[in-house]
Order: sequence, then structure tokens, then C-alpha cells
Amino acid sequence: MVREPGTIRNNENRFGDRVRRRTVLKAAGTGLAATGLAGCLGDDDDGTVTLGAMYIFSGFASLYGDEAERGYEMAVEEINENGGIDGQDVEIIARDTEGDADTAIRQMTSLIEEDGVDGLFGLDSSGVAQAMAPQVEEQQIPLMVTHAATPFLTSPEGEHDNSVGNEWVFRNCNSLSIDMYGAAQVASELDVSEWATIGPDYAFGYETWDYFEAFAEGLGVDAEFTDEQYPALETSDFTPYISAIIDAEPEGVITPLWGADLTTFLGQADEAGWFDAIEYTLFSVGMGTDLPADGSPLPEGQHASTRYDPFVPETEENETFRETYYEEYETLPTYNAEGAYRAVYLYKEAIEEGENDPDAIRDTFTGMDHSGPVGEYQFAEETNQAVVPAIWGTVTEDAEWESNVLDPVEVHEVDADELDDLLADSELPSGV
Amino acid sequence: MDPSLTPAFVSVSDVVIGLSLGSRLFLIAVGLSLIFGVLGVLNFAHGAFYMIGAYVTLAVTNQVIDNFWLAVLAGAVAVGAIGALIEIGTIRPLYERAEGELDQLIVTFGFVLVIHEAVRFVWGSQPYSIDAPASLAFSVSVAGSTFSAYRLFVIGAAFVVMAGLWLFITKTYFGALVRGTSSDREMASMLGVDVPKLYTAVFFLGSFLAGLGGALSAPLQSTSPALGDQVIIDAFIIVVIGGLGSMFGAFVGAMLVGLMQAIGPQFIAAGHIAIPFLAMVIVLLLRPEGLFGGIGE
Repeated sequence: MVREPGTIRNNENRFGDRVRRRTVLKAAGTGLAATGLAGCLGDDDDGTVTLGAMYIFSGFASLYGDEAERGYEMAVEEINENGGIDGQDVEIIARDTEGDADTAIRQMTSLIEEDGVDGLFGLDSSGVAQAMAPQVEEQQIPLMVTHAATPFLTSPEGEHDNSVGNEWVFRNCNSLSIDMYGAAQVASELDVSEWATIGPDYAFGYETWDYFEAFAEGLGVDAEFTDEQYPALETSDFTPYISAIIDAEPEGVITPLWGADLTTFLGQADEAGWFDAIEYTLFSVGMGTDLPADGSPLPEGQHASTRYDPFVPETEENETFRETYYEEYETLPTYNAEGAYRAVYLYKEAIEEGENDPDAIRDTFTGMDHSGPVGEYQFAEETNQAVVPAIWGTVTEDAEWESNVLDPVEVHEVDADELDDLLADSELPSGV
Repeated sequence: MDPSLTPAFVSVSDVVIGLSLGSRLFLIAVGLSLIFGVLGVLNFAHGAFYMIGAYVTLAVTNQVIDNFWLAVLAGAVAVGAIGALIEIGTIRPLYERAEGELDQLIVTFGFVLVIHEAVRFVWGSQPYSIDAPASLAFSVSVAGSTFSAYRLFVIGAAFVVMAGLWLFITKTYFGALVRGTSSDREMASMLGVDVPKLYTAVFFLGSFLAGLGGALSAPLQSTSPALGDQVIIDAFIIVVIGGLGSMFGAFVGAMLVGLMQAIGPQFIAAGHIAIPFLAMVIVLLLRPEGLFGGIGE
């Protein structure tokens, strides 16, 4: 494959930044990590549309960045082969957030001030996204979030203590609240009287449990919500937590463990007899990464969600995307790839509809109707959250695609007012 | 009452899991303690050594020979050799320096970064897992809970290593040299002990044990570049609780910390990670030299 110039630059940056950061930061304990090679590259106002992509490209969650890279590279190739954006080529400059807010903000500043990017997209970590939101507002540059899921990101500032939503921040994939609405729908159909959770020890783990419980109670699910376990990120041995959950004897467990932690957890849970002891395990990030295809996939028959399913909806647009992606990468597209792919097209559409100007892009994004592999959807005007459905299904091995897929798959359409109603008894904002 | 705070029943399975966590922590902590007790070097890179042990085992079983036990031996010996080379090349020149302890600390910390990045360069950031050896790949039922036989084996191995080390240090000629040199280096030197060689041998032994710990633990945990950082903190807590330089202290400390890690989640949903730290603070306040003290005890 011909790699885009922006991508090559991205790799150099990534490596250069990484080495410098690890050695300088850790050894000296200072915040001196420089902003990469960008300084040498100069402003970028030469007839190309330049977008900054910010993902985790290193560390234990680097597979998210790798997936996103496949998605946006594919979009860039398609767009440039078909006349670009208003006749101009699109170029992506990718930066590694390392999943760290300070690094992400430094990278963002560099992308804006040194590379003169026309817009930003990406972000895997909710914590990073929450820290970035006020910064993009200050810099007055549009940010299309394609992965980070916290509802507080699109809940308008002031709605809740943690809300950071503003007019510059958009999200094109479903959020944790939409996903947990779907999870609660699943729970309402299962004969479970006691739910537990095991999630990562930071906001995402706690929010998943809070929203799951709130939506389930809103839907009138008759169950108790008991044992909670929050192991630290990058735990190498989950056995004590697994044992604690099994001892508590819940019938159902919801887990937002993700990335490498999920892979580790799955092996150890299997060894400890988890899948015999726990009747239902709901994996909220289970179909998120390369897990469907790699050597330690989710066990068949378990429930998992995704923010985008390669077979839903059955439209020509989705089929073309799926087939092209499969031809290119020999694996089904994950949601991070689809989100990044669609972000580039969102910028194309916004710039072609208005002009390549931050205010104009922001105004076009607001309340925009759009269609992509994920289907037709609209950005809610109040929140800038794409109103896309929750997708939950049963993990099934598919011989044709040599991958796990969700089959049967249930699509839970979302209505912003309904979400607000269901959450009325809690203090949680829907962010939709 | 918040259900997450409800006191839970401590089961046999928690104890077994705790002992298995403690066993692997013992193998790293005892080497750390031994090296400090004899050389006075606080080896920050000990967690990274443990990690290398796991990676070498992984690489040997995957690419060289499909024999887990040989791979474990290869992992331990490789780490021992790396440790000895580091001692000869970078730590030995610092013994005679005034303020040498700080320099040693910085050198070993430097190796943490070097090893971490080298591992990432070679193996990447993703975690690897390795199967337990076929001979121990069966389940054993203990008081209604199921464990892999391998987990129980690792607990047994820690007890055997503890007993072996104790015999080695207290009953052999080499052990006598180690004890003598640890209590008075200059006197030992005057009596004809080749102190530099002895130091290298002890550094080899301590590193070998860390490598053995990492190698034996590989089937029980995921192996990723973060592994070394996680265990070194635990190892420091253990040697502070047990007493720096004490083998027996490292054993008791490791088992205590392992049990705290296993039982903690039964009582509090999050934050139990702080329990061993609290225990360390209490020991430091009430018995700053640790529960046990001195090499060979």
C-alpha cells in the first residue's frame, strides 16, 4: 500500500517523541518532552487540508491507534483518489497521546501552532478527552472524538460537575451512556437477580457501573447490583479479583475491561472456571479491538457490544466499506477504524458544504445529518453527540470471516429524551 | 450499607491465591534483599530482571525448544548473567566512591529505562501469555475451589527455594564467606576473600532468583513491559516489611503482601492496592529495621 505522506511523518514523530519522552521525562522527572519533529515542518497552508489525528500509538493500548490509523488512511486514500476535498488533497498528521492528558495537550498545541491543522479528530481515552475539551474551546478548533466514550464529554458544561461539553467538541460514535442503555436492555431480557462488575480503576470503570445500574433501574430491571471490583490498568494477574467475584456468586457480570487487560483477564478467568460459575458476562468493549480476530477471542455465547458492527446496517455503503477494508487488511473493520474513517469524511463534507474555516466547520458539524458505514445519523444540537444506536449481540465464531462476530445482533435505537427520562432518578447526564 | 464495604468470608481459595502471589514476589524480593544485604546496593533494576526472566522463557519455548523447564532455566541463567555483567561493568567502579550509594541507585534506575525500552523494541507493548507445562496442566480441587496444579507447584517451589537458600547461606563455605563479607567487608578482604568476585557471584545469584521468579510466573500472568514496574514496588514494600537484607524477612513479607493482595478485594472494591503500603508505614513507624534483620537470619 502507498502510505500517505502524513503517515510517514507520523511514524517518525511517533518514534522520535516516544524515545525522547521515555528517556527525558522519566530520568529527569520533568515535563520537558518536546513536541516532536513538527517544529521543523512549518506551517501548512499550501493547498492541502490538514487534519490532526490523536490516538494512543504506544503502550498497552497501542492497538487502538493502529486500528484508527487503518481507518483514516483508507479514507485519505479514497478521498485523494477522487478529487480530494474541494480539489485539495487531505493530509493527516498523526500524534501519539500515549493515553496521557498532558502529552495529548502538548501534541494538540503543536498540531495547531506548528502544523496549522484545520481540524482535529481521534482520542481513545475518556480522561484525555475530558482534559482536552476546554483546551480546544480555548484554541477554537473543531475536535471530532471517535472513540473516547464518557458521557460527560458531550454533556454541556454546567449540567453536571464533571460535564465539559462545549460547541467545539463533537463525537461521531456512540457513548458510554448509549452503550449502557443497550446493556440495560440486554439485562432486562435476562433472568439475573444479582449483577456485579469488574472494570478498570478509573472513571471509565466506575461510570460504566453507574450508568448500567441507572439505566437498568430506569427500565425496571428487577435485580440487585452488588459486587464491584476495580483492578488497576495493566494488571498482570486478575486472579484475586476474579476469585472475589466468583465468591460473591452473581449471575451476571458487566465488564468494561479493554485492550490488553481484557485479553489477560479472559485467559485467567477461563482458568479459574469463570464461565462455568457466572452465567452471563456482558463485555462492553469486547468487540472493540483486534480481539475478534486474534488468538484469545471472547468465548462464544457471551454478550458483547460494539459501537459499530461491520454487518449493521445492511447498506451498500457499509458493505463497500467492509469489503474494501477486508481486502486491504484481511480483517473485519473494528469500530475504532470505522470512527476514524468517518471522521475524515465528516471533515470533507463540512468543508465542502461551507468552507475550510474553524468556525464554519463547527457550524456545519452542529446538528449535521450524515451517513457512513455506521448508517444514517444526526448530531444532537444540544450536545454534539452523534445519535447512533447501541449494538449488543451474542459472540459467535464466523467461519467465512475467520473471526468472531455478533450474531444474533440487536440494534437498540436511541432517543435522547428517553435516555434522559430513564436517568431521571440518578444525577447522571445522558450526554446525548 | 454500601455492599462494596460488606465484610466477606475469607476463603481457602483466597489464601491459596495469596500464597501463589507471595511466592513469585518472594523470588524477586529475596534477590533484592540478598544483594542489598551483602553489597549494599539497592538494585532498582530488579523488577526489570524479573521481567526479562519471563520474556526469555517465552522466547525460548516459542522459538528454541518446546520444553518449559529448560526455558525456565535459560531465563534464570540469562538474567543471572545479565546481572553479573551489569555489576562488573557499571556498579563495581562505584563501590569506592564517596556518595557511591546514590550513584549506584541512579545507574540501576538507568537500567530500568534501558531494559524497559529494549523489551518494547524487541517484543512490542502487547502482553503475551504462555501455557503451563503439560505435566502440570491439570486442575486440582482445594476446599471446593479449583486451581491449576501449576499454581500450587509455584507455591511449593518458593518454599524449596527458601529452604535451599537458607542451607546454602548457613551451611556452606560460600555462605560463610557471604555472611562474613556482609558484616565486615574490609576484614574479609584482609583475610583473603576475593571480595569483587564474591560480589559478582552474589549479584549473579540475586539476579538469577529474580529471573527464576519471572520465568516461573510467566504461565500465571501476562508478560508485558509494565511487568517490571509493578513488581519492583511490591518487592520494595516486602523488603521494608521483612527487613532489608533478611532472607527470612523477604519470605514472610512476600507471603504477607501476597495475602493482602488476594484478600483485599474481598473487602473493598478499590483502593486495596494501598493495604501493603499501609502495612509498610506501620512497620516503618513501629519497627524501622523491619520484622527481621540481617543476612542469614
